[in-house]
Amino acid sequence: MTTIPVTYPLVLGAALFGLGLYGALTQRNAIRILMCVELMLNAVNINLVAFAATLRDAAAAGQIFALFIMTVAAAEVALALAIILILARREKHIDIERVHLLRW
Amino acid sequence: MDVTRIVFLALAAVAVVSAYRVVTAPKIMHAALWLGFTFFLVAGVFLTLGAEFLAAAQVLVYVGAVTTIILFGIMLSQAAEVRSRDPLPSELLEGMAFWRRGVLPVVATVAFVAIMVMVYLRASWPAPTGGVADTVRLIGSALFTTYVIPFELAAVLLLIALVGAIVLAIRDDDKEEQGS
Repeated sequence: MTTIPVTYPLVLGAALFGLGLYGALTQRNAIRILMCVELMLNAVNINLVAFAATLRDAAAAGQIFALFIMTVAAAEVALALAIILILARREKHIDIERVHLLRW
Repeated sequence: MDVTRIVFLALAAVAVVSAYRVVTAPKIMHAALWLGFTFFLVAGVFLTLGAEFLAAAQVLVYVGAVTTIILFGIMLSQAAEVRSRDPLPSELLEGMAFWRRGVLPVVATVAFVAIMVMVYLRASWPAPTGGVADTVRLIGSALFTTYVIPFELAAVLLLIALVGAIVLAIRDDDKEEQGS
């Protein structure tokens, strides 16, 4: 059974979320931005699991929320990659600075 | 300092390093592999927190499916399109981009992490209680009783995503054949 203080995984989650946030804000490659978003979702899952473990969650709500986040993330990555690959075929690049399709 | 805590700290340290490599690795392929490694380490973190089912789901869904999809996506497209060059530091910090891509992300990230860590350290948390013994059984029964409607909705969501991805891919092929 876990004896880890709750702050340890919370700080780990904040660090991973910060790295994902920094990457999503600075990178221009659409696939890398997608990877950073996945990293942020995973950091949130760490937080939820940490709270579930610490609060002796008899309804398992924290873990089930994390499970649903995983489901949404899987659906999201499949659709996002389909869109990115179409973009790569049409525009011959996936640099989001140079994509104006949805802007006007 | 018991064994669980040491294992957790080791996993966390390596996870932060590999997550850093996801952002900074020069080649997109390497970044994807580092991402898979990070997911694997997070599965280990779940294990140390007593969430066995989520650790297994993490390995299956993230390491098995998400990383594989991203790797396939990179490899199946023309190399030059997807592996578009990431900005060099000099062109990153040029003109307006200096604020938008150089300063603002650093400020936002540092502020966010600092605020969150400060909140975590100052809050008074309950002492670690050691979780519930049989989480797999608990999740299974809760998923099919309390959370049965979200569960079914998640199934519908996955179906919609599957159909949507196929439709996107097929339509693009047709148009490209007509155009060429």
